[in-house]
Amino acid sequence: MTENQQKLIDELVNKGLDGDMDAVNAHQDRMVRAKAKSMIMKIQKGILKRPPLKKISPEEVPNGDIVQNQEKKENKQESTSAKVVRKLLEKFPNEIENEEFDSHIQLKPDKWFEIATWLKSEPELFFDSLQCQMGIDVQDDILESRYNLHSMKHNHYVELRIAVSRSNAKIPSVEKIWRVADWFERETYDMLGIEYIGHSDLRRILLPDDWEGWPLRKDYQEQETYHGIIVPKMKEGWE
Amino acid sequence: MGVVHGEEMVLNIGPQHPATHGVLRLQVRTDGEVVSKITPYMGYLHRCFEKHCENVTYEQVIPFTDRCDYLASMSMNFGYVVAMERLMDIKVNERVEYIRIIMAELQRIASHLLCTGVFGLDLGAFTPFLWALRDRERILDLFELTCGARLLYNYMWVGGLSHDLPVGFVESTFKFLDYFEPKIDELENILAHNKILVERSADIGVMPKDIAISYGVTGPNLRASGVKWDLRKDDPYSIYDRFEFDVPIGQGLKGTVGDCWDRFYVRILEIRESVKIVRQALASIPKDGDVHQSLPKKIRPPKGSVYARTETPRGDLGYYIESDGSPIPYRLKMRSPAFTALSVLDEIGGGWLLSDVLAILGSLDIVLGEIDR
Amino acid sequence: MGLFTNKFQDNIIVEKLDKLLSWGRSTSPWFFQFGTACCAIEMMAAAASRHDLKRIGMIPRSSPRQADVMIVAGTVTMKMAIRVKKLYEQMADPKYVVAMGSCATSGGPYWQHGYHVLKGVDLVIPVDVYVPGCPPRPESLIEGLLKLQEQILEERPLTRKMA
Repeated sequence: MTENQQKLIDELVNKGLDGDMDAVNAHQDRMVRAKAKSMIMKIQKGILKRPPLKKISPEEVPNGDIVQNQEKKENKQESTSAKVVRKLLEKFPNEIENEEFDSHIQLKPDKWFEIATWLKSEPELFFDSLQCQMGIDVQDDILESRYNLHSMKHNHYVELRIAVSRSNAKIPSVEKIWRVADWFERETYDMLGIEYIGHSDLRRILLPDDWEGWPLRKDYQEQETYHGIIVPKMKEGWE
Repeated sequence: MGVVHGEEMVLNIGPQHPATHGVLRLQVRTDGEVVSKITPYMGYLHRCFEKHCENVTYEQVIPFTDRCDYLASMSMNFGYVVAMERLMDIKVNERVEYIRIIMAELQRIASHLLCTGVFGLDLGAFTPFLWALRDRERILDLFELTCGARLLYNYMWVGGLSHDLPVGFVESTFKFLDYFEPKIDELENILAHNKILVERSADIGVMPKDIAISYGVTGPNLRASGVKWDLRKDDPYSIYDRFEFDVPIGQGLKGTVGDCWDRFYVRILEIRESVKIVRQALASIPKDGDVHQSLPKKIRPPKGSVYARTETPRGDLGYYIESDGSPIPYRLKMRSPAFTALSVLDEIGGGWLLSDVLAILGSLDIVLGEIDR
Repeated sequence: MGLFTNKFQDNIIVEKLDKLLSWGRSTSPWFFQFGTACCAIEMMAAAASRHDLKRIGMIPRSSPRQADVMIVAGTVTMKMAIRVKKLYEQMADPKYVVAMGSCATSGGPYWQHGYHVLKGVDLVIPVDVYVPGCPPRPESLIEGLLKLQEQILEERPLTRKMA
């Protein structure tokens, strides 16, 4: 196969993976179409790795096409994440769990309180505001708690994630460091059931106190009645 | 002569109370008339927004975002659309960007008008409430001209808008702005410099800078405490960097910096800045351009996550969207500004009289639909 | 009024008194503003200066003990449903309920996956008039309230009901 053909197949494969299957189907050459579709299937199954994206110059991009040039954004985000990771490795080795830091940093839950105190007070980083804290039910029995930190002084962002298993979902609370975490953690406890150790008043905030279950988990079943009122939608004639 | 201390009394305000903030319950512990601790209880309007987002497609999420903060639906749509376009890397054309800014700023004016009117109503002034609603109706007329709805629009779509501006919109808006500018001065005179309102709100509920940042308070509440932080200038999204406008901050003209009067006055000043932005945008809006040009045929974002913030009339609205490559979101979290604004009530509300608590609550400008989602 | 309700035989004097009472009740029902969500803003807009509710005789009251009509505007959740029942029981007879908006009628846009949303306020209290819309325009609300007034006008509070 020539290099040009390989480049063409790579481009079609990237377009197809991003949702634009019409570009793949519209190509005239049957061999190229077949190779592109089989590559897409193998990538989706995890057998192959996705080919690198082609650089597009600004004049080539028609309005509305999915642009693949994310380098500028990644550079800016990477430098903050990379800076945090470099300093973290000096102070708290063995706490980082992932290898590519362009979008987030994965931490272990044990020393989270100390790391958070250090992140707030370190002069070069100075993350003095917790913008968003949320919980998410990743598949395979893992619950994650994600933190978006922002520094008003240096105007940079970083995202941190902590993963725990469902049976032992306990993470240290950072309520005393950022006061906003008080209600955010209560809401994550309410929706997903992650317990925050050290929180002064961990109880349900949005749902009633005697509600059963953790609604945002993927295997949540609604209860049948609540104080005598029917909870799920009634089926006669509504579908 | 000593101070007489009685027994502590627990009083319940709500969940149904005549102020329009919605269904919120405040458990207030008082010693006579002086309040010692306020505990807000919410969840009376929890409508399972995040669970709905995990079961409907990306386009179908937009009407649900409308209904969260029903006083500023355009801004809620805008935040979602900015986050999705960042995730999918879609660039929209100039006309769409200008129309979005015009709609967002008109919505900001409408929301601030309602907030100032209701603040007056809470403190007993009925006439400014009617004046504010009368002017707000004219803005809702403009919205109805464009997309057909008065309150919940479903107007901003991922990659474009649902309807283009109708014929005559630009002239009607200019007419409205010419009519409206003297009315802001009227409203300011009757409310902001009114002796009774100043007595009831100056020096009350002071929020210092560090508490505001630590509790995550954003928007006009933060600006009234003296911090010059506005997402439209400090972290611009869309084409806000092309417009010239000031960012008003609280200066403590009638009392301390960061009191209720400051929070109320900053909103009136912001109405004026929004009028400036709308005028600039209307003067330079491009005449041709299709608003449906960049709408994707199917919304299937690549795998990954994005967190994007925009400035709504109440503060920083953040959307965290996690997608797994399918047309249905995997997880969507809305970080609402009113949630954090309510959490600071206990900190700044202790030590005041019972009627001051309602003034503080009114100046924080909360909407329960956004807090409970 | 409890002593005289439905106690008298049907004759000309009772009929005229009935008409007088119904007319008095229908032309000035004071409403209990129970606004929960977005429909509450449209209810406020209906009571403001452009679409005026006072011209049909309705004045907003904030306490249920002083009101005749309860306009349930907005979504009612499970947590709130218990309190709605309490508020309804605190109102004095004769009382009427208007369910405004699709959330109060049948759960609204949250009917499918809302585990905490009450699918219609008529699961806890009896409703007289349903006003659909999301949110209904103030003109729709006024039409619903005028229909309620017509309903009240047809009542016969003093006449003994046939078995």
